[in-house]
Amino acid sequence: MSIVKSAYNAIESVVGSRFISDDPAICEGYRSGPGGYESGLGYERVMTTIPHAVAMPKTTEEVQKIVKICNRYKVPYVPYATGFYGPRSHCHVENELLIDMKRMNSFEIDEKHFCINVGPGVIYSPIQQECLNKGAYVVIGGGGAQASAIANLIGDGWSPLSHRIGLPHRRILGTELVLPDGEIVKMGSLANGDDPFWGDGPGPDLRGLLRGFTGLRGCLGIVTKMAIKTLPFQPEPLVPTGISPNTGLALPTNRVKWINYQVPNKAAQIKAMFEVGKAEIAGAITKVPLFWRAINKAECKEEFWELWGKENEETIKNFFIVRVLLIGFTSEEQMQYDENVLNDIMAECGAVPRATRPLDESWIKNADSAGMWLMCGSYVSVDYIIESLSQATKHGEFYADTKKKYTPPLMPDYGDPGWFQSFECGHQGYSEFLVYWDQDEDTNGVDQFYLETSKMNIRERCYTSLLGPHQPMYLTGPMYGPNYHEWMLKIKDEFDPLWVCHPPVPLAHDEFVKRAEWMKPMEDWETPEKLPMPDWK
Amino acid sequence: MPSDRYDTPKTPVSLDITKLDNFKYDMDHCIKCKGCYWVEHSYMPGVNFSVRCPSNYWNDFDSYGAFGKCRIGLGVLDGKLEWTDKLLEIIYADPLCGACDVGCKRNLDLEIGLTLEALRVKAVEEGAGPMPAHKKIAKNIATKHNQFGAPHENRKKWVTKDIKVAEKADVLYFAGCSASYKNQDIAKATAKIFNASGTPFMVMADEQCCGNTIFSVGMLDEARELAKRNIEAVKASGAKTLVTSCAECYRTWKVDYPKLLDIATSDLGFEVIHLIEFADAAIKNGSLKLTQSVDVRFAYQDSCGVSRLSDPWTPWKGTRGWMGCVEPGLKRRRGTKGLYTQARDIFNAIPGATFVEMPRTRENAFCCGAGRGTKEAFPELASVSAKHRMEEVKHVSAEALVAACPWCKSNFAQAIKENGDNVKVMDIAELIIAAVEI
Repeated sequence: MSIVKSAYNAIESVVGSRFISDDPAICEGYRSGPGGYESGLGYERVMTTIPHAVAMPKTTEEVQKIVKICNRYKVPYVPYATGFYGPRSHCHVENELLIDMKRMNSFEIDEKHFCINVGPGVIYSPIQQECLNKGAYVVIGGGGAQASAIANLIGDGWSPLSHRIGLPHRRILGTELVLPDGEIVKMGSLANGDDPFWGDGPGPDLRGLLRGFTGLRGCLGIVTKMAIKTLPFQPEPLVPTGISPNTGLALPTNRVKWINYQVPNKAAQIKAMFEVGKAEIAGAITKVPLFWRAINKAECKEEFWELWGKENEETIKNFFIVRVLLIGFTSEEQMQYDENVLNDIMAECGAVPRATRPLDESWIKNADSAGMWLMCGSYVSVDYIIESLSQATKHGEFYADTKKKYTPPLMPDYGDPGWFQSFECGHQGYSEFLVYWDQDEDTNGVDQFYLETSKMNIRERCYTSLLGPHQPMYLTGPMYGPNYHEWMLKIKDEFDPLWVCHPPVPLAHDEFVKRAEWMKPMEDWETPEKLPMPDWK
Repeated sequence: MPSDRYDTPKTPVSLDITKLDNFKYDMDHCIKCKGCYWVEHSYMPGVNFSVRCPSNYWNDFDSYGAFGKCRIGLGVLDGKLEWTDKLLEIIYADPLCGACDVGCKRNLDLEIGLTLEALRVKAVEEGAGPMPAHKKIAKNIATKHNQFGAPHENRKKWVTKDIKVAEKADVLYFAGCSASYKNQDIAKATAKIFNASGTPFMVMADEQCCGNTIFSVGMLDEARELAKRNIEAVKASGAKTLVTSCAECYRTWKVDYPKLLDIATSDLGFEVIHLIEFADAAIKNGSLKLTQSVDVRFAYQDSCGVSRLSDPWTPWKGTRGWMGCVEPGLKRRRGTKGLYTQARDIFNAIPGATFVEMPRTRENAFCCGAGRGTKEAFPELASVSAKHRMEEVKHVSAEALVAACPWCKSNFAQAIKENGDNVKVMDIAELIIAAVEI
């Protein structure tokens, strides 16, 4: 059954004929893969398809009307901001409507109250530039400069700049959400008026529900507007410089400066992060995967492998870097004070400063996640963890061990446990585990590794961010809930009784394991023979 | 072979655009980061003027961006998509301005520009392309040797009595169709710059269209014949340097002819330069003196053919293996050899004039939307693009917009007229000659 003509016509009357299409060539352009985040994997091949039609609303009212039509005619739909998040944000079932939100690109900045209001079509880098123009900055990060700010904040949203503030999604002040049945909910102070000054009251605060830990990929409605907190920055301009691919922001080093330190061991890395946080200095402190350094140095993938090929487990095991961003928020004197404190801390940690370019190539504005695909062609961050600083690194060691068993197809990274950093001035440790492979090889092992990490987390009693939309919910739910899966399904049924909003999320990974032959041998947890949701096949 | 690596077989691959298969890897590995669409993020000016793709600016559906076209290209290659009017519109409503290519190569090594060219070649090969307007241009070129179907004998009418053309010289000026017929002021200004610098120059005995459009729409057989004919004509003239004042001609001679003939730019047998390079060198060596004050505040359109599309061509073939690595080494064309600095050096040498940069500049510039057969087949796209760029001109309070391509000039002039804008559009040759005392 395709989208019935009367439903298509009704949606066309809402958005206008220029902004809806069911032409096969238009719909093919919205295919998830084969390249991209997590693409080229089994999940993308088995679980995604192209839309039957694409509509591009301009206003919240148009979104509401479209969603109500979808409910009336039982048309499954998925909201889509930039499509960067890979298969999980694309159509999963036949005859689905893709609601492309890019035309909802309104932007307002409230300079006085340090706040911006954006639509889902607005991405990170222009927002950051607008904020910088007004002496402010915003922390979004996550999916990168090219990802929708709203999608980032209800999905991931990690960034080294979170050192001072904690999870970026805590900067959500007000949210306008169109529920799966078309009703509208305004969260935070927006529930009581037009002023988005506070995120969690006096109106309903459904932020946790909306995003869970890493987002529900739009299966509980469509965010049409968001107010995001900005923070005071410093006044000197950050000047774009260089020519592609070697571009960056030239930093006014009297006010903004990256410094790389080499430290003697992992304990020193953790101590440095902890002490810097305790001293309440710096704008970021992070340890990045060592192969990122090779990405940065290489102009092409062949050069990357030439550089990275010189490394081995021994060289990686004994090389520890801490990267610190200093910002003179209030004055040059404050900057100097921070640098003096930093030098004292680093001296105590046995750290040695290394030559660092006065340039920001990634994070402040660029958030250069697209570079992750340079060396292999395929990439996913397999988990994002918030723990204590010391636990975060242990978690990394478990990952490194598990990775070894799946290399190849995973890229040889010689045991580098990934990325970790300080959040909330050292009160939290964030770690992210990145895996890379060549999608032209046999990638079944990558699918299996992904699931294996869930089992590893359960076995080692580590926290995981990848619950509902990323792993089989009947595997993780009982272990982390103990009834998280039941709770989640009740919410889904309540909010979206017809399951028209991005089916079969949040049971998509459960469904994937059932459909993919190479995953079945791994299914050693209890799961219903028929998953409790409508059949959309 | 270390145990942590696959023993991946090596697959032959080349940069030959006659086979879309050569670019399957590139299409397969597009990650939808939309680096092809957004201005490079370090240079992102803010929420206004944030995109660089005229095609996807004109039509918002993803299919009109290079990331959508990569998916469509795979569909064509696999035989999943049939040639339809909509599919042809998606493929041809695109000035192939190279913004996507250099944007992608900020982070990845994908050959997006060549992929889009190869897609058009396939459309022609399978009898679907090009668009009717392009076929008309091809007919004009075949019968009248120019894009417009104007009488061939009028081609040199721009050569007036006040211009000295040598019988024989090291420098050969190739005026191109637009400056020969529609924008003769550009050809005249260019010739006067040669004269003012004391540089003898000649023109071809029988200049004919460079074939930019027919190459760009995928009619390679016809374009190749023109390339051979034109290259032979230059060699026969004995010229050492061919100078163009048209960005499209420049790119065609410097990049597309070698590409068509499977040779390197350096193997053409003569040097190809744009007036920008000539004038910049002449100003710096003192042979061209800019003494007249030009009272204008102007912005500059980095015309695509003299900027991100102008890296010289070197043929390459080899193999692709583990992790997609190729061998022998491939120096990717990333648009870094554009004439960005030379143009700005000229502007800074013009007395009295005030040059202001627009938010999108150099390799991030927004194309006028007219080039490579777009304006003829999709005039609305060309108009929308030019008008959008004019918003940027007004944003920086420029009184004039200077371009380095007659096609840009015509397209902007039309947009200005339709908008009723009080902005002047001129070619860089006209700006330079205004500063020369004659």
